[in-house]
Amino acid sequence: MAAECPAPQQGRAGTERAAASEASATAAETASAAAGGRRMGRGIRERCPPPPALCCSPLRPSLPPSLRSAPLCSPPGPARPAPREECGLSPPPRRSRSRFMTVAASPEVGAGRGGRSLKRSHGSGARRGGARPLPPAAPPKLGGSFRASRGRSMDLRHLLFTLALICANDSLFASDAREEDAPGKGQRAPSWKAAAVKDLLQWPQISKCRSPEMETFSCFWTAGNFYNLTVPRILQLLYKKSNEEDWKECPDYITSGQNSCYFNASYTSVWTPYCVQLASKNEVYDKKCFSVDEIVLPDPPVHLNWTLLNTSQTGIHGDIQVRWDPPPTADVRKGWITLEYELQYKEVNETKWKELKPRLSTMVPLYSLKTARDYEIRIRSRQRTSEKFGEFSEILYVSFSQIGIGCDHCTEEVEFPWFLVVVFGVCGLAVTVISIMLSKQPRLKMLIFPPVPVPKIKGIDPDLLKKGKLEEVNSILACHDNYKTQLYSDDLWVEFIELDIEDPDEKNRASDTDRLLSEDHLKSHSSLGAKDDDSGRASCCEPDIPETDFSASDTCDATSDSDQFKKATEKEEDLLCLDRQDNDESLPSLANTDLQRQHRNSQSENSHQWAPFGDSVESPRPSAHTQISNQNSLASTDFYAQVSDITPAGRVVLSPGQKSKLGRAQREVCTEQSFTMDNTYFCEADVKKCIAVTSHEENEPHVQEQGYNEDGYFTTESLTTTVASLGASTAAPPSSEMPVADYTSIHIVQSPQGLVLNATALTVPDKEFNVSCGYVSTDQLNKIMP
Amino acid sequence: MPTMSTRGASLKGLLLVALLVSHMLLTKEGVTSLPICPKGSVNCQLSLEELFDRAVKLAHYIHFLSSEIFNEFDERYAQGRGFIAKAVNSCHTASLTTPEDKEQAQQIHHEDLLNLILGVLRSWNDPLIHLASEVQRIKEAPETILWKAVEIEEQNKRLLEGMEKIVGRVHSGEVENEIYTPWDGLPSLQLADEDSRLFAFYNLLHCLRRDSHKIDNYLKVLKCRLIHDNNC
Repeated sequence: MAAECPAPQQGRAGTERAAASEASATAAETASAAAGGRRMGRGIRERCPPPPALCCSPLRPSLPPSLRSAPLCSPPGPARPAPREECGLSPPPRRSRSRFMTVAASPEVGAGRGGRSLKRSHGSGARRGGARPLPPAAPPKLGGSFRASRGRSMDLRHLLFTLALICANDSLFASDAREEDAPGKGQRAPSWKAAAVKDLLQWPQISKCRSPEMETFSCFWTAGNFYNLTVPRILQLLYKKSNEEDWKECPDYITSGQNSCYFNASYTSVWTPYCVQLASKNEVYDKKCFSVDEIVLPDPPVHLNWTLLNTSQTGIHGDIQVRWDPPPTADVRKGWITLEYELQYKEVNETKWKELKPRLSTMVPLYSLKTARDYEIRIRSRQRTSEKFGEFSEILYVSFSQIGIGCDHCTEEVEFPWFLVVVFGVCGLAVTVISIMLSKQPRLKMLIFPPVPVPKIKGIDPDLLKKGKLEEVNSILACHDNYKTQLYSDDLWVEFIELDIEDPDEKNRASDTDRLLSEDHLKSHSSLGAKDDDSGRASCCEPDIPETDFSASDTCDATSDSDQFKKATEKEEDLLCLDRQDNDESLPSLANTDLQRQHRNSQSENSHQWAPFGDSVESPRPSAHTQISNQNSLASTDFYAQVSDITPAGRVVLSPGQKSKLGRAQREVCTEQSFTMDNTYFCEADVKKCIAVTSHEENEPHVQEQGYNEDGYFTTESLTTTVASLGASTAAPPSSEMPVADYTSIHIVQSPQGLVLNATALTVPDKEFNVSCGYVSTDQLNKIMP
Repeated sequence: MPTMSTRGASLKGLLLVALLVSHMLLTKEGVTSLPICPKGSVNCQLSLEELFDRAVKLAHYIHFLSSEIFNEFDERYAQGRGFIAKAVNSCHTASLTTPEDKEQAQQIHHEDLLNLILGVLRSWNDPLIHLASEVQRIKEAPETILWKAVEIEEQNKRLLEGMEKIVGRVHSGEVENEIYTPWDGLPSLQLADEDSRLFAFYNLLHCLRRDSHKIDNYLKVLKCRLIHDNNC
């Protein structure tokens, strides 16, 4: 035969069979034949559906040869259904089946057991094959029948026979197992095999135990159809309290009806655990353990009635109050038991009951009942803190028409037109949104759809940069530290230069008189200068200007950046313009280097390095600009020049200024002045005057021959050369050209260190000294002034 | 003129404040509607009926909580473990002979019953404390169980206090020997084996439910007996 039946099954079956083999060897063997079929089914179940030939392996060695050779599996055609049936079947106790199979006792195994086993077999057989007539106890000899089995019905009958045999034997095991249980272990659920059978078998069992009032209790059981098949037995209900050892019999079988046991108050201890068991002589069928307070199911309430509370104005609805009494058995009054009630009501022709919340009181109002309809009400009760309700009371009928309030002709109320509300609401909302979006009202739009804010740099308005005036921009930029506008006019410089604030140097004291003398001029100049201010400078003025004779403090031009710069400039002024008289030192050496560096600097427009200048500064700075201050009044008008053109390079071409303004006195002054500048800058006024003087002396074309600056500015070089020539030889004509422009473009601003003037393209003949007007770097200053 | 009016207003305000403060100081009463009964005072304003009402309410609440916590525990942990199948172990208060049915409850002397109630409450003081703390060690204990355990323990304390007050009122003579049953189930709540530990909890909660039901019933019976003279 095919030998593909699964091995593990074999093992299990084998062990079980071995365990049961003691019961009845022959029976076992005969059963095993059928068991083969069972096993076959089992195996097939695992791999459903295999060909039937697989089933025919002899799994048990103890099979009698006759049976072994017998084809347990029918030939493919008719036999296939059988395994498939087995495949389709999925009875929970696979092992039960094996047990059944192992045990194949004759039906007459024990008086009670046989029938039971038969019943079991019947049950299992029925389960297996569906509804089939239960055959009587099968004869032990099955081999012939098996061998001759052909056709489906025959197979099924064989199955049933086998089951019957097995069950008979199985009962042995069951009872043995049961008796092995420790007594008082509590209700042991019948084994799975019994459970499998019970549905059909209707074993006697305790259906429920109930106490209606927590003073007595009753237990009910069902006898099952057990009695019909076997000798009627006498069922007993035994009970035992937890602290007792003996089982006692039920005291009252009658009071609660048939198949019941009633324990009156004397037998009832409320909070004591009880165990009851249903048993016959030797056998326990069922067992339950509980305590009385857990099984309380009150009786239903009684005496339901209702009264009308009020009706609505239209008469369509009405309120009623329902009252009832607690169940008479329950002693609610003394507080021994506390009940809560649940009311249910519905219209007469409805199917679903409406429930109210459980409550303790025995009356409840019902609101808004339709007077045109009739209602039904029922109530049930339960013990508080328990979950199960008792039975429902009788139904109470509520009919308003009986009282005469019925409103038969009342029409139904119109329901709220939800649909219309929704539709109109949506439309309105859409219209509103669209109108807002399309509206030109920016405020409304902004309210509903606020614009996303754009980041702004604090202090600088991009629009200003785009289309603002340069002056404004400069003024704003000038507010920041370390930045000096390039648009300071001469006036301011002159102011800077002229004003001497708290200069402790003795050198500067000589300029006090000058300062005093020229104070008026200064003021005027300052006023003039103020007009020409960049607007921002005034605003950037620091309020804490040191109290000095600094008349320019009004305009605060000089100190827009810092006091330091101010002081530096003051010192510079002193050095440059005011102390020029004192210092005779020339700065050819310095000037040269400075010039060259300035060249470099000018060419690199982004460099703001004053360091080279600082290094080179050694010679004292002649900064006597007193002469200039004296001559300021004369030269005041010379501080402005008209811009004639702007070169692509960004330089401003000034129209030729007033050359002839400088008087002779200036000329003299100019010659006497020693432009010992270690800086690149001269006081413009000085240079102007000097140059003007010289220019006076000389021909203009001569001056021009010198080479105009490309942009008509004084450049340091030009100035240098000019001054140098002036300084070197008083009558030396200025080598450089003589543009009378009053402005020198500032190339680089290095506040507070000074300014770098633009150098012209002209070669500097004399590179000995730098010439700058009024500009001295702090480094130079520091070097000059100890 | 304005100064006069403001002065008048400020005076009124001051007067009002003074009145208020004096009222508060003099009356020394809170805002609660119930009169405060300071502890240990002999002349308490609470009537016995009021005390019993409160005690009954508390006992009912405790029983309600115990039922709930038992049901939750049963649902969550006891299913499939066969706790019900095992015999319900006796509770540690089984040694106290409490009335087991209505007649016994009606026949027992009210003072004895009160003492018994007190005894049961005292015996549960300790286990409840440990229940509240140990239940938190249960793996993934639901929050409802946790707070219920704590709540039960608190309410039990309050009920104990209330009962002591009642006993102080009702007892004519001295209090007899204090009824009390010690509890030694703490190790079982701390077992390493989870099954055994859960079974210990199950038993404890089962006993708690039963005892709280007992107390609830006894108090109602007592209330009816003492306050309403059995004419409830």
